[in-house]
Amino acid sequence: MSEKIKILYVDDEPENLVGFKASLRLDYQIFTAVNIPDAISCLNNNPEIRIIFSDQRMPGKTGVDFFEEIRVTHPLPVRIMLTAYTDVESIIDAINKGNIFRFVKKPWIEADIIWAIEEANKFYMANSMLSVKNDELQKAYNELNKFAYSVSHDIRGPLTGILGAINLAREIDDTSEIKEMLFLMEKSVKKLNTYVLSMHDYYSMQRGELKITEIDFNKIIDELKSIYIVNSKINNVLFKVEVRQDEVFLCDEAPLRLIINNLLSNAFKYQDPNGGIHSVEVNILVADGKATIHVSDTGIGILESHLGEIFNLFFRSNSSEVGSGFGLYNVKSALLKLNGQIEVTSVLHQGTTFKVTIPSI
Amino acid sequence: MNKEISFIIIDDSELDCYVTEKFLQRANQNLIIKTFNDAQEALELIRENNNKNEVIPTIILLDLQMPVMSGFKFVEEFEKISAEIQKKYVIIVLTVLSSSNDPKDIYKILTFKTVKSIVEKPLTTEKLTSLLKHVPLSGGK
Repeated sequence: MSEKIKILYVDDEPENLVGFKASLRLDYQIFTAVNIPDAISCLNNNPEIRIIFSDQRMPGKTGVDFFEEIRVTHPLPVRIMLTAYTDVESIIDAINKGNIFRFVKKPWIEADIIWAIEEANKFYMANSMLSVKNDELQKAYNELNKFAYSVSHDIRGPLTGILGAINLAREIDDTSEIKEMLFLMEKSVKKLNTYVLSMHDYYSMQRGELKITEIDFNKIIDELKSIYIVNSKINNVLFKVEVRQDEVFLCDEAPLRLIINNLLSNAFKYQDPNGGIHSVEVNILVADGKATIHVSDTGIGILESHLGEIFNLFFRSNSSEVGSGFGLYNVKSALLKLNGQIEVTSVLHQGTTFKVTIPSI
Repeated sequence: MNKEISFIIIDDSELDCYVTEKFLQRANQNLIIKTFNDAQEALELIRENNNKNEVIPTIILLDLQMPVMSGFKFVEEFEKISAEIQKKYVIIVLTVLSSSNDPKDIYKILTFKTVKSIVEKPLTTEKLTSLLKHVPLSGGK
């Protein structure tokens, strides 16, 4: 075992403490206290104490009183009672009020104590594993709850919209009206499609190990450029790209691509329809073992009060239909994987700039 | 049907707004219908009309889950407007109901005095007809 198990022994007779410590200190780290206040301060100073032995008969408070008290304030350590008295009353109290793990009879023999320690340690480990797992489960469960809610709204929402449109279309003969509806239905279907794709991103970012390769930013950007150039032409958005990379950069390409792609997609998506010149700029600089990526747009901007929330799952800052509430959350998860950071500055109706820094691995 | 009714549709989905609007128009061609993708804008319009006496009775068809200003927030804000103005409006919630909806939410929205009814999406002619028959228009009280 890497570290000795920490044990506290409380007894009002110092010679008991000395004897206990002498016979066990080689295998365990023993803390001792001659009274209850000392024992409590010892527990406060050493939160890693796993097992507590206590004498029952002590002046002032009894061992049962002590256990009953720390059961609330220090619930983690396993409690064991050492007593010479076979006093039924105090045994019942110890079990019911002190919730003790075990009794050891005084005078004790070493084998009994060691056995009690080993059993108590197993119990402690099982308990703490359980609480770690419990926390993880609770987190996963909360996320699932959010997820179920959003899936029902973000998938059923567009679906019922399309269903409503179909109901209506049955009663309409005018082809121009039908065409207009088909156009809107197409938008809803595209939105659903994006939603499902980003849900896939979400899961791939939640799990899986890193796959480190040499990254050529020029290559990544060239590929993304070929995707966004169409959007740039159709919507008359200037698309400026600058990449400076003179050194090797090691990273996982998938999350990296996800980050740049999401930021670019947002930059194009949230252009201000009323604005003058539309532009999206990407600037990537690789130097001193890190990549700094700037993505700026002349878009609608983000309300200052929303800036703190935009990386939250399912948060949408805008009433336009295009957002799924996944994008920036996925960016944040990807950055977490790559140990990177993101900053955002935005002016409403003027534009937004995201700055991402990622260290080479 | 009474011609002196207007409608305000508030829904962040363009398609849903369009469909609801068309259904209403099919029910009565002379209706005045305004649509909003953003509840805030609808609220501003209602507030601006504050001083006009001739606001005609209006039914607000309101979606619940919307970004920026949700249906809940809209109703809360709406009920802060003067009672004189509130009287002119009736709110009908038009939303997607699903098993993961918190029933408390649905209950809560009905506790607002200006909210008269809930209609589940998708809208159909039947739902609309029964709605128009049964909604007590504010002016009537």
